[in-house]
Amino acid sequence: MKFLCIDCDTAMKFKDVTRPEQGSVTAVFECPDCFTEIAMYLNPSETQMLKSLDLQLGGKSEAAQPMQMVRSQLETAKKDSFTNISSENANSETGEGGKCPFTSVISDAFDENFEPTSEPEQSGLKWTPEALERLERIPSFVRPMAKMGIESFAKDNGHTEITGEIMDAARGNFPTQF
Amino acid sequence: MKSYKELPDDAGSNIIGQVTAQANRISKRLSSIKHTVAIMSGKGGVGKSAITTNLATALTLKGYSVGIVDADINGPSIAKMIGVRNAKLEFTLSGVQPAISSLGTKIISMDLLLSEDDAPVMWNAQTQKDAFTWRSTMEVGALREFIGDTEWGDLDYLLLDLPPGSDRLPNVVELIPNLGGVVVVTIPSEVSHLIVQKSITMASDILNVPIIGVVENMAYYVCKHCGEHESLFSDQDTPENTFSKISLGRIPFDPKLSSCSDNGTPYLNEYHDTPVTIAITEIAQKIQDFFNT
Repeated sequence: MKFLCIDCDTAMKFKDVTRPEQGSVTAVFECPDCFTEIAMYLNPSETQMLKSLDLQLGGKSEAAQPMQMVRSQLETAKKDSFTNISSENANSETGEGGKCPFTSVISDAFDENFEPTSEPEQSGLKWTPEALERLERIPSFVRPMAKMGIESFAKDNGHTEITGEIMDAARGNFPTQF
Repeated sequence: MKSYKELPDDAGSNIIGQVTAQANRISKRLSSIKHTVAIMSGKGGVGKSAITTNLATALTLKGYSVGIVDADINGPSIAKMIGVRNAKLEFTLSGVQPAISSLGTKIISMDLLLSEDDAPVMWNAQTQKDAFTWRSTMEVGALREFIGDTEWGDLDYLLLDLPPGSDRLPNVVELIPNLGGVVVVTIPSEVSHLIVQKSITMASDILNVPIIGVVENMAYYVCKHCGEHESLFSDQDTPENTFSKISLGRIPFDPKLSSCSDNGTPYLNEYHDTPVTIAITEIAQKIQDFFNT
């Protein structure tokens, strides 16, 4: 991927990345001659593709550690699969204070515990206690996907509160039962 | 306006350099491994993983150092079959120590990393929508790390147990350009042979990977009363007919092979003079001969 400043006919350089929003990442490139900046937006699928290739915009500041991608990206992983991972050994590129700004930003985009500096987009939907209880019964590894899908279904159909009935109506859209 | 080729680099990301570094990492790891063998099939359910487990056991019992990469990322079974399912993987900065069976075979498998028995492989993502665009790449990334980031040490043989079908082999060949050869497992049915032929074409004609040979599993069963050989499937269409020039051997059906797989005890280490053990040991010898000639 290359970027050209048309006015200067000069190759632009990678400059920075910004905080992700809902899985998307913004990379900034700058013309070294006129200092014009452009922003490239990656949608969540494109961000995910970049992660899956274990490639980094702006280049890697350090070599990947053993099984870095699997250790950081497997959602259904056993917590204690690996022994001897101390804070010194822990991968610096799995969202724990990574040295590479792009990598840590990418990791943040998919870290459920990450608290962004700006207010995240809220669904604006209320969940009834019954609906929340049913949501909890969905296996943890598909729950976020199911929650997002139910909320999307509710929004698309003009609902402001998610009830058991709306979950029933949305059920047909998902491979898992709840 | 400058063209793509006239621009000096990719804005500083050095993607080619990053990809080259990944390839070099695998190459360095494989430099201590003498022979790499992919075990593949056309269709699922032909007993490929059980054959992989027991071929590894046969080679280990002959005194060779052997490792297995369970390349079936979404359906891993090797760890259970060889009895290391509860093993922990020791992390070091130079690599991950593989699980080691009671006989000394080294194993890496996605099964060792999954949280629960019924947990599928799911990757972190803001949304699984459009996951088809990246999931396969994630799986190849996992395979790359399994091969390149496992501390194999010095190995005589590294066996790669591929998922059914011929689509994973090109990924393996990209990761291991000097793949030593392919063993194809089939059963005596026309349907299986039809698909196996596609795998052979993919390996030999398209990817230029040497075919070590074809193994016919569940070729027959031996009557426990009279010792006669009875067919389980078609009588006529055996690999010795269809793949006569590259047949490595025929393995009879024995229900104990399945129960050993379920129990995590390699059959060959439990039963020493059965037709199955003799057949698999002979196939292992032919694999050795393939590399020694």
